[in-house]
Amino acid sequence: MTSKSINKAARKTIFYLFVTTLLVGILLPVYFLVTLSFLSTREAYQFPLPMTPALKTDLKLGYGERGYLLSVWERSEDDYATVLDTNDLDKMRVYIQSILGTKITDEELAEQIARLESSGEEEVFFTQPRNLLYNYETFFRVTRDAVPALMRSIQIALITIVISLVIGGMAGYAFARYLFRGRDALKFSVLFVRMFPGVAIAIPMVLILANMGLYDQPMGLALIYSVGSIGLTVWITASIFLGIPVSMEEAAQVFGATKLQSFVRITLPLAFPGLAAAAMYAFLGAWNETVAAIILTQFNPTFSVVVYQTLLGATGQVNLAAAGGIAMAVPAVFFTFFIRKYINQMWGGMRV
Amino acid sequence: MVNVLHSKSFKRRQKKIVPYLLILPVVIYYIFFWVRPVINVLVGSFTDINTGGFTLGNFAMVFQDPTFWPAFWNTAIIVVVSVTLEFFAALALALLINRKFWGSSYFLFLVIIPMALPAVAAAAMWQTGLTPHGWLNSLLFHLGILDEGQKIFWLGGYDATKARLLAIIILVDAWTVIPSVMIILLAGLQNIPKEAEEAGYVFGGNYFTVLRKITIPMLSSTIQTAVILRLISAIQIWLIIVLLLGFGRLPVLVERIVYYHEEVPGLDISYQMATGYTVIVSILVSIAAFFYLYVSGAFKHREDAV
Amino acid sequence: MAEVYLNHLTKRFGKNVVAVNDLNLQVHDREFLVLLGPSGCGKTTTMRMIAGLEEVTEGTIFLGDREITDLPPRKRNVSMVFQNYAVWPHMTVYDNIAYPLRLKKMSKQEIDKIVKDVAEMTSIGELLDRYPTQLSGGQQQRVAVTRAIAVYPEVFLMDEPLSNLDAKLRVAMRTELKAIHAKTEATTIFVTHDQSEAMSVADRIVIMREGEIEQMGTPEEVYDNSANMFVADFIGTPPTNFFDGEIRRANGTLHVVNPRFDMALSPENAALLQAYGKRDLVIGVRPENILLVDEADALLSTDVLVVEPQGSHQVISFEFANKIVKIVAPTHPPVSAGDRIHIDFNQRSLHFFDPQTTQAIDRPESG
Ligand SMILES: Nc1ncnc2c1ncn2[C@@H]1O[C@H](COP(=O)(O)OP(=O)(O)OP(=O)(O)O)[C@@H](O)[C@H]1O
Ligand SMILES: [Mg+2]
Repeated sequence: MTSKSINKAARKTIFYLFVTTLLVGILLPVYFLVTLSFLSTREAYQFPLPMTPALKTDLKLGYGERGYLLSVWERSEDDYATVLDTNDLDKMRVYIQSILGTKITDEELAEQIARLESSGEEEVFFTQPRNLLYNYETFFRVTRDAVPALMRSIQIALITIVISLVIGGMAGYAFARYLFRGRDALKFSVLFVRMFPGVAIAIPMVLILANMGLYDQPMGLALIYSVGSIGLTVWITASIFLGIPVSMEEAAQVFGATKLQSFVRITLPLAFPGLAAAAMYAFLGAWNETVAAIILTQFNPTFSVVVYQTLLGATGQVNLAAAGGIAMAVPAVFFTFFIRKYINQMWGGMRV
Repeated sequence: MVNVLHSKSFKRRQKKIVPYLLILPVVIYYIFFWVRPVINVLVGSFTDINTGGFTLGNFAMVFQDPTFWPAFWNTAIIVVVSVTLEFFAALALALLINRKFWGSSYFLFLVIIPMALPAVAAAAMWQTGLTPHGWLNSLLFHLGILDEGQKIFWLGGYDATKARLLAIIILVDAWTVIPSVMIILLAGLQNIPKEAEEAGYVFGGNYFTVLRKITIPMLSSTIQTAVILRLISAIQIWLIIVLLLGFGRLPVLVERIVYYHEEVPGLDISYQMATGYTVIVSILVSIAAFFYLYVSGAFKHREDAV
Repeated sequence: MAEVYLNHLTKRFGKNVVAVNDLNLQVHDREFLVLLGPSGCGKTTTMRMIAGLEEVTEGTIFLGDREITDLPPRKRNVSMVFQNYAVWPHMTVYDNIAYPLRLKKMSKQEIDKIVKDVAEMTSIGELLDRYPTQLSGGQQQRVAVTRAIAVYPEVFLMDEPLSNLDAKLRVAMRTELKAIHAKTEATTIFVTHDQSEAMSVADRIVIMREGEIEQMGTPEEVYDNSANMFVADFIGTPPTNFFDGEIRRANGTLHVVNPRFDMALSPENAALLQAYGKRDLVIGVRPENILLVDEADALLSTDVLVVEPQGSHQVISFEFANKIVKIVAPTHPPVSAGDRIHIDFNQRSLHFFDPQTTQAIDRPESG
């Protein structure tokens, strides 16, 4: 190896070290949120918090004053901590399942008790697997309508995508393909809409939607969300269509297509990646929005409202809130992952 | 009528209408779902709630609100610092990704995850991180930076100065927002022909002179788009503040709207305050946006592509 | 197959830009017509009006006896090769060719047969399964041509189809296009601003400037009988050399006199100029019609500025009245910069222009 190539390799290593550090720095908070969502309630309120969720729980059974004494291995203390002294096996099972987030059945617990009794020892040790998804199960079970709220959020996001792509896409096409009086002024004014605080629109919309019978309805929220995303969609789609040479369409028309056919068969497929990215923006906007949803719903909250309430409300348990937050983030991140290749094209116009 | 329909001039005029027809749905949509509520708010802001007549009293009340000026300055500081910070961080990231190193497309995806994270999820993340028992202190403890029993009260305690709260809010907000600014800049960077930058190197520029003299000027209209979008939303920051600090601890303008509307509902004053604040915020946003566009020269040269 | 008639065709963009101005043109059946002219002269606009992609401001377009002025493109039965090819990147080569046929509602078998046949003709048979991004520029161009001929159009429009190709490929494709035209016999309108391309493929050339036709004719006509100084300058490389002169009568013959030479006109040329009323004129001499001669026969003598050897011939430049004059001469005898040369004009191929109108002084036969 020449010194030059060593030098090059060293620089490459440093570069990737740098990139990795950057990535760790950026994603560390997310990592902890994920970890937190897998922690048991007991762990979640300890300090310091464990840096990784445990995959199993080491338990110890002994005799206490009121009955059996349950102890659990504490990673931070490197020792067993006594957590329960009871005669009530149901209570103990529930405690292990909920507070310790650990899988156990009545039979398994009874078996361990029997082992303790028959062994004649002071205490017996056993290990149970963790139920990593316990917080998620709880979140969806105990939180007021988490599941229907999730369905509503999906519905709202989809309607928002459709409205903004259809209406915004039409305008974007006009801005990209036609020269007309007032074009620039109009193009700027669609962005102007964003200058009025979204919350402030939501407040008078309560009455307007109520009159239309859409208050507290998914459709009503989708209509409001579209106001915000149409403007962006117009700009994004305009730049996408600008990137597709007009001659592609014109060729189709010369060869026998109507305007509509040439749009559907040529322009639309070519614009698809960019449109998908625009859809992602609309999706994220609708999916993540919380405030208007708080104002404009009553009995039919969206998923983000449910998470918000868990976060602020009395049910607020950090690990539950974390699970809710992650549950909310997963679809959004998933969507982003599939669309990541096209994201750049959204703002740039694409090269064909 | 048939004659008119088939005449050439009619057909040609018809074609001129096409772009307007395509834009019409947006306009109608905005009239229904934007203009109407905006007019409601505007009218409300000038209406005396008792007599129903015209008044400027609502605005007077806003200006007399003891939290108005703190909210104004907090907002101003957040906007200036965070837009600047986010812009440079986003530019640096975009330049890095634009080097197209091995794995850069996955890097891109991972870096934009914060953007996909819903506000409430992000809030949950930071809240659980920033409490004294949170993961940030835990991490510092595990790293040996904090001793046993020692804790940093990131958000709390009586010693939490406003400066610290502002700094934390700005950083937390930047974490969420940088990716979306970065994406716009990255797209712009990818549209700059390689030759332009290469010519800079050929004529003896180093990385930074090429960046300053060639890349950034060629990126200027993209930068405008990114900054203007960011500016508009930065002035409207509030949710993350309320989720982390609750109402009132670090008042900002939009937070005041929600505060008066949601937290002190039912009173006359709450409605007056909410509409008054709303109108003031929109005026400020518009002024800031136009001021920026003017300073950055957007009115001098308009370009079609973003 | 059909004729195309453009009658008083005018295209204005906005109020001020007149792209095409009162154009009258008849394209014959099976003709290979070339629209030639400098950039911005309205060639593309004319072609796009024929295709229906640009609205006509005034005038009419006929295809045979059918008026197509206001028909949408798809109803015109024309086909087109675009300058940037406009092959559809999301379709395979096969689908690119087949899509127009599907639009015509042909059966699968018919389409398959046509695609295979035309692909054979343009030798892209092996490329049918590829996507355009997997093709070279030349191959894409071939696909665009194949797609255009597959529909058996009445008129075949090509807008600078060769301009994106490298010089060598361009010359090869020229020949091929000509061969394809011979096979299909479709009336063809071909746009270019490359005069040598025009000369080599055209049955007839239409030379345009600023939206108007300057001259129409076979390549030989426009070359040998350029209608005005613009055409004489535009056609031919190197371009025609122009010399200012004045007509004088001396010893019973006509002379053209210039501060540096005095040329007695041949009887034919004298007859031509007899009818010309004015004194001032411009002589246009093509580079190959300036002859190297002995000192004794010389019209004028001068020093060579530059010599550009071209293999088969050489281009010799000298300065005359602050302009560069170029001569195309055989490689023998060799000449080099600084040499003194003696030249004469080939009187049989001189062009005379009126400096005021820049129009050619009419030869009696081309009246
Ligand atoms: N859409 C348009 N709007 C306004 N002016 C136009 C438009 N299209 C063409 N023009 C103008 O019309 C004139 C003729 O343009 P055209 O494209 O026909 O030229 P061309 O002969 O094809 O040139 P080239 O050889 O450069 O392709 C030019 O002056 C051009 O600027
Ligand atoms: Mg052209």
